[in-house]
Amino acid sequence: MKYDAVVIGGGHNGLAAAAYLARAGRKVLVLERRHVVGGAAVTEEVFPRFRFSVCSYVVSLLRPDIIRELDLPRHGLEILPLDGTFSPMLNGDYLWRVNDHAKTRREIARHSKLDAEAYDEYGRAMVEMARFVKPILAMTPPDPMTRNPRELLKLGALARRFKALPSRDRYNQLQLMTMSAVDFLDQWFETDVLKATMAASGIIGTFLGVRSPGTAYVLLHHYMGEIDGAFRSWGFARGGTGAISNAIAGAARAAGAEIRTGTAIARIRTRGGSADGVVLDNGDEIDASLVLSSVDPRRTFLGLLDPKELPSDFVADVRRFKLRGSSGKVNLALDALPDFRSLPGPGPHLRGAISISPSIDYMERAYDQAKYGEFSRRPYIDMVIPTLTDPSVAPPGKHVLSCFVQYAPYALAGGTWDQQRDAFGDAVIDTLAEHAPNIRDIILHRQVVTPLDLEREWGLSEGNIFHGELTLEQLFFLRPVPGWARYTTPVRNLWMCGSAAHPGGGIMGAPGRNAARRILGHAH
Amino acid sequence: MAHDVVIVGGGHNGLIAAATLARGGLRTLVLERSERVGGCAATDEIAPGFRVPALAHRTAIDSHVIQSLELERHGLRIVRPAAYACAPTTDGRALIIWADTERACREIATFSSIDAERYPAFLESIRRITVVVRSLLDASPPDLDALAPADAIRALRTGRQFRALGRTDAYRLLRWLPMAVSDLVGEWFESEPLRATVAADGVLGSFLGPRSAGSAAVMLLLAAGEGRPIAPGWMPRGGGGALAEALCAAAKQAGAEIRTSAAVCEIRVDDDGRATGVVLESGEEIGASRVVSAVDPRRTFLALIDPIHLPPEFRRRAQNIRMRGTLAKVNFALTAAPEFQGLAARALADRVAALSGCVRLAGSVDSIERAFDAVKYGTFSDVPWIELAIPSVTDDTLAPAGQHVASAYVQYVPHTLKDADWDHQREQLGDRVVDVIGRYAPGFERLIVAREVLTPADLEQRVGLTGGHVFHGELALDQLAVARPLLGWAQYRTPIKNLHLCGAGTHPGTGLDGRSGLLAAQAILTAP
Repeated sequence: MKYDAVVIGGGHNGLAAAAYLARAGRKVLVLERRHVVGGAAVTEEVFPRFRFSVCSYVVSLLRPDIIRELDLPRHGLEILPLDGTFSPMLNGDYLWRVNDHAKTRREIARHSKLDAEAYDEYGRAMVEMARFVKPILAMTPPDPMTRNPRELLKLGALARRFKALPSRDRYNQLQLMTMSAVDFLDQWFETDVLKATMAASGIIGTFLGVRSPGTAYVLLHHYMGEIDGAFRSWGFARGGTGAISNAIAGAARAAGAEIRTGTAIARIRTRGGSADGVVLDNGDEIDASLVLSSVDPRRTFLGLLDPKELPSDFVADVRRFKLRGSSGKVNLALDALPDFRSLPGPGPHLRGAISISPSIDYMERAYDQAKYGEFSRRPYIDMVIPTLTDPSVAPPGKHVLSCFVQYAPYALAGGTWDQQRDAFGDAVIDTLAEHAPNIRDIILHRQVVTPLDLEREWGLSEGNIFHGELTLEQLFFLRPVPGWARYTTPVRNLWMCGSAAHPGGGIMGAPGRNAARRILGHAH
Repeated sequence: MAHDVVIVGGGHNGLIAAATLARGGLRTLVLERSERVGGCAATDEIAPGFRVPALAHRTAIDSHVIQSLELERHGLRIVRPAAYACAPTTDGRALIIWADTERACREIATFSSIDAERYPAFLESIRRITVVVRSLLDASPPDLDALAPADAIRALRTGRQFRALGRTDAYRLLRWLPMAVSDLVGEWFESEPLRATVAADGVLGSFLGPRSAGSAAVMLLLAAGEGRPIAPGWMPRGGGGALAEALCAAAKQAGAEIRTSAAVCEIRVDDDGRATGVVLESGEEIGASRVVSAVDPRRTFLALIDPIHLPPEFRRRAQNIRMRGTLAKVNFALTAAPEFQGLAARALADRVAALSGCVRLAGSVDSIERAFDAVKYGTFSDVPWIELAIPSVTDDTLAPAGQHVASAYVQYVPHTLKDADWDHQREQLGDRVVDVIGRYAPGFERLIVAREVLTPADLEQRVGLTGGHVFHGELALDQLAVARPLLGWAQYRTPIKNLHLCGAGTHPGTGLDGRSGLLAAQAILTAP
């Protein structure tokens, strides 16, 4: 029997695409290689009774229209606020920003009165910028080389929107799109740890340093939440990040989509330059009028297709697409809570994100090491303790600590990641111990996820958590490949719907939604 | 007598603006702080009989300027190198990028036959792409708030040129502008000496490493003038000073008056926010109906103008213009030409020709990146990246017969050291440069008759480059075109009536090409 659409990969984007197609009455099948759906947005019981958001660990950008349209709360999605960011410093002090604006202002004033004032102005400016960018996330990028006047008009409209901005916003927008996070923040603030922690969001998942031009843009993402009317910045899903994927999967199933896990695909079947199904590892063939790939372009075009079936310049562009994973995860099962030298004892500062980003130079040095093929000996770490907001994921009294670690370059100068895995884990523990000396005594279990693991187990080529660097030359109408940013591919009836497509990675779900809407003719 | 225009600063842009304005019939006066005009275009005698290009050792004065000011009639003699760049290795080889493409390919082939095949295609792609870039550099950027019909026409023309590139090159242009030059060279070439030699153009004078996004744009901007990458430009016979003399002669002949040792300390602004003239350090006041500043925007707005005349927000933005210089200059008087191991096996004629351009001393792209790492923390690297020029190879007016002068661009060097001061570190930097050159040319230190080290701080002192930044402001995407020097003020105008800018801090600001001076003067002449 034949499906209207088969979706390769059951990550949040694949599932979202499937849900939208199924709701439109299409007969949809989602194929997931692993035993569980979710891709990198997954909760797994890594150690008995300890459930981890193994890869992606917080949610911030999940598009509100997806939550609404797919009615995700009805399918079990509950987002718990993640209150603030705690940044311990090496001098024994700390910076602790919370969602309560007045509190945060007082805290920043403790470091610098000027910064406390600039903080308001900064927040307002960023919200304005986010307003400008938000609609772009939901649009299909127009192709600047198109002959289609409709597309050109869309480009013109973008230019007009920019021109229509007040000159001050125009100025900020231009800077945000091109500057380094540090240069941008230097114009507003003087407190090193404040700038370092804010700048950190600009390099997450990207092989760039906080001083590298192009890193300022991501600062915006922290303000998207506000205009989405969702939580200001970050939140957890109750039950872990996997709960998001499960909710989307639930919506897809409810709409009639079929989801098969443990089903790996050998290749995409094509006939006469057009995709007409997939061939599974076990040799089974599945017929479908449309094939959607939510896996990254390298896997899709160089792995699941025979490059010979593709235009050579397209293949060259795919090979050139930068993946360059730069981060890893260390997941810890804890017997008790970490005790920070700078703010001892348990307390609300542990309920939010804890950011090991004590200074700009610290962040930049971490990058400098990675540039030449070593993991950072003193890495940037962004960690959360979900058990404080959602005790359901660990046995009573126990905790899970989820550490996002950068930099961990996929390509090592010496040795393999299998040889380096433990050394990497140790470097993370050593770094934590500088701030929370009790950490070594409270670790029950430790899981180290290297870029190589992300590639092998979760199918992220080169361990890139965004399916491809979020750098300007790989965004919008250049993502993933110039001329193919509209979810279509040179193979007829083969569509891209994953993070490698506009607008990119993060648990946004936008690529999956945009692709499905494009297929259904809702969007152009 | 009152002047129609006084120009603050007698650098190349100031002189070109002066000549153009004077030809336009305006009574023009140029005021230069130092005892000679030329700014970065200068020739100094650092030892009896040894005359070295004191600052820039390569210029790329725009052909429009050369023609319209008849600079060759005024004594400018352009010396074009037979080899754009020579990259000797420490293991006795050398990659020579000859001006002749076929010959260059034969050289490249000895490092990689694949690169040799790609090189001509690379040159062609850069040539086509820079046609579009060039058309942007050749015109004043539009004012987004008051688009004129001319802007629309120009936009359409550029748009057509862009589409005429065809998909491949058009997308390359879009991808390359925000990209890191290390990725660009990585896409084209496999041999490190070639990668490093090409990538160097993306970081020249900038606070950027080859891995920094935006470095590819710097390379394209500098390549746009001559439509070719790799050390574009040439040296005038007689060094940069000869260019200054030609420009000076052209300006004078056009009727401009030029005063040296006349340091402007203030630009006078009246109560209705109108520039009325300047005040010299001597106390002398000079009135003029227009003031044109060729010095960098930060110096102009923050040092020469009473804050009361500028909106606070504008001053804040001016303060935020990034101009962190990273280039130091080391000049040498030498008893003989350096003997590069890598060239030892070549015939004398080839050895000489190979050195007619610049010598780039970097083993790999990463070695340039490592040199960059240091400057981020306020120090300079043990192994700085060096571009050496030995102009006396092609110009016998610079040194006694058989002897030579050499000029080194040295990166990366901070304007301000973190925990030291330049008076104690300056000569250490010089020693490091000698040491690095010696690795490629053993015995180099024994050739030295005289040495002069100019740190970015010295460049600021001597030529007035704020932060020691040779481009009057980082060539970053947020400081180019409509945003150079500041978004909304890219038309050589300022918030102060009758005060204009014409220096490299304005569009296009791509080095020693004089476009800023020319475009500014044209804008002033056509202004209502």
